[in-house]
Amino acid sequence: MTSGPMRFEGATLPTPEAVAAFIENVTEFLDRNGVDMRASHHTSLVLSEILTNLATHGACRDRLAKIVIAVAPDRVTGEITDSGPPFDPRLAPEPSLDADIEDRPIGGLGLFLVRKLTTALEYARRNDENSLTFAVSRAGSRDSTGAGKDPRPD
Amino acid sequence: MEIHDERIGDTFVITAKGRLDGGASATFAERIGSLITSEKPKLLIDFAGVDFVTSAGLRAVLLLVKKVKAAGGSFALCAVQEPVREVFDITGFAGMFSIHAARAEAIAAMGG
Repeated sequence: MTSGPMRFEGATLPTPEAVAAFIENVTEFLDRNGVDMRASHHTSLVLSEILTNLATHGACRDRLAKIVIAVAPDRVTGEITDSGPPFDPRLAPEPSLDADIEDRPIGGLGLFLVRKLTTALEYARRNDENSLTFAVSRAGSRDSTGAGKDPRPD
Repeated sequence: MEIHDERIGDTFVITAKGRLDGGASATFAERIGSLITSEKPKLLIDFAGVDFVTSAGLRAVLLLVKKVKAAGGSFALCAVQEPVREVFDITGFAGMFSIHAARAEAIAAMGG
C-alpha cells in the first residue's frame, strides 16, 4: 500500500474484515487531505459496496482488488480493478423504493447507492479485468452533476 | 460497534456508536431486535455516534422496522449525521419512520 499527499494506492481481499480495515485507511487518507465529511463518507461507502459485491457476487473472495483514490479540488476519484467475471454495476436492476415496509425487499440497495452517490461512474473490461472508475463531488464544488467529467484518478 | 440501551418511560432508547457495516449489522439487528418482546414496542435509536452506514446496515435497520411494525409498535431515529441522513433519504428509508433532530424531541414525539 502506498500513498502520497493526494493519492492513495492499495489492494485488499474483498472479505468483510479486510474491507473494513481497508476502508478505515482510506477514510484516514481522505481526512488527512481535508476532504469534507460528506465526500469522505460517500467515497468510503462506494468502495465498501463495490468490494463487498465482489465477494458476494463476483466469486473472487480470494483475489486481491486494486484500488486507487485521488483527491482533486472539486472531487474525489477512484478506480477499482478486479479479476473476477465481467460485471458492470451500472446495469444492476433498480430496487423498489416505494413498496410498503412489509413488501420492501431486503437487498439490492448497495449498487443503487453506488449509482446515486457518484457524479460519474464508468466501467471497462480490459485484460480480463473489470475496471470501475467513479467520482464523488466535494463540498463547495460548483459541479454537482459530474457531467462530462473523466472520473479516472489523475 | 457499541450499543447501549436504556428505558425512558415506555420507550427503549438505544445509543449506537461506530460503523454500521457488514461486520456490525448482524449484531446490531440481533441485539436491538431482542428488545422487542412485547406488543406495541417503542424503539428510538440515537444515531449521533454512527458515522458510516452501508447497505448491510440499511438491511439491519429495515429488519428492525419490520419487526416493530409487525408488533404494532413505533420506530424512530434521532441525531442522524448528515451523510448518513442522505443515505436514508436516497433509499427511501426516511419515509418509513420518523427521524428527529434530537433525542428529547424524539422521546416527546413518541409519547415516552
